[in-house]
Amino acid sequence: MQEEQEFIKKLLNPKTQNEAFKELLRDYQRPLYNHIRNIVLNHDDADDVLQNTFVKVFQYLKNFKGESKLFSWMYRIATNEALTFLNQKSKINGISSEELQNKTIDNLQADVFFDGNEIQLKLHKAIAILPEKQQLVFKMKYFEELKYETISEILGTSVGALKASYHHAVKKIEAFVTAN
Amino acid sequence: MSIMKAFKLENEPKIASGFKTPEHYFDHFSAKVLQQFPENEPIVISIFQKRKMVIMMVAALLILALMIPIYISISTNLKELDETTLENYLAYQTNLNQYDLVSELETKDISKMQPVSSTEDKVIEDILAADSDIEHLLTE
Repeated sequence: MQEEQEFIKKLLNPKTQNEAFKELLRDYQRPLYNHIRNIVLNHDDADDVLQNTFVKVFQYLKNFKGESKLFSWMYRIATNEALTFLNQKSKINGISSEELQNKTIDNLQADVFFDGNEIQLKLHKAIAILPEKQQLVFKMKYFEELKYETISEILGTSVGALKASYHHAVKKIEAFVTAN
Repeated sequence: MSIMKAFKLENEPKIASGFKTPEHYFDHFSAKVLQQFPENEPIVISIFQKRKMVIMMVAALLILALMIPIYISISTNLKELDETTLENYLAYQTNLNQYDLVSELETKDISKMQPVSSTEDKVIEDILAADSDIEHLLTE
């Protein structure tokens, strides 16, 4: 925590800011990319959202109050950016978020940046039937292997509610895969 | 008849998302983000925000400076004239003589000004008896 406070000071100091921000990019680009990619599914979209996320992080750094960990705060920005991006994209295409997600999953087979097999594709289709919150919880727990405490800090939901959410998500996914 | 086996996530080996990134994507990503910021640009703090403190200090000093004459006039009005100043003024700074002053006094004030000490009659008699010159002067 002390180290994080020191790092935040470096990020806010104009003299050390550039170096600190490079370090921030180096450490967080991969986990944040994976998080965003799991939400938007497509590499080009994930790239756009990830860039926007770091721009926002840089812009709002001076407002960061240190109430949560820097990691959780950045994840929260990334999640909001990804969801906002999907809403805007579905509006532009004149379709619902669910339709957009199904369309993107259908395109995965032809995506050069997706090398999933049949079961992986089926898993993505199963996730798409879940409500938005359950999708987020499942992806963060199953693919990103985040602890419930961390997910709780990012999504602002209690650990108990997250466990229940994950449990329901698993049951629905299992039922979907079994039936299909 | 075949019984469909129920899929259990926990019984399956871990299923990865299957997502890939272009080769060297992360090697160039940092540079791509940093390009979006003007070089060595510090976090922007507006000029007003930066000078806010100075402006507020100057305003506070101005208010204090404007209040000094008001404070002085209030404190002067409240202070009563001390008696010595008044006496000196009446004695040296005006054309009033003692008759003018007496005419301004009321009977009650004058009676208050009578000498407080009274000489005993017996004492007077003793002085007259002891000093023959005074008796001679009185008879004349």
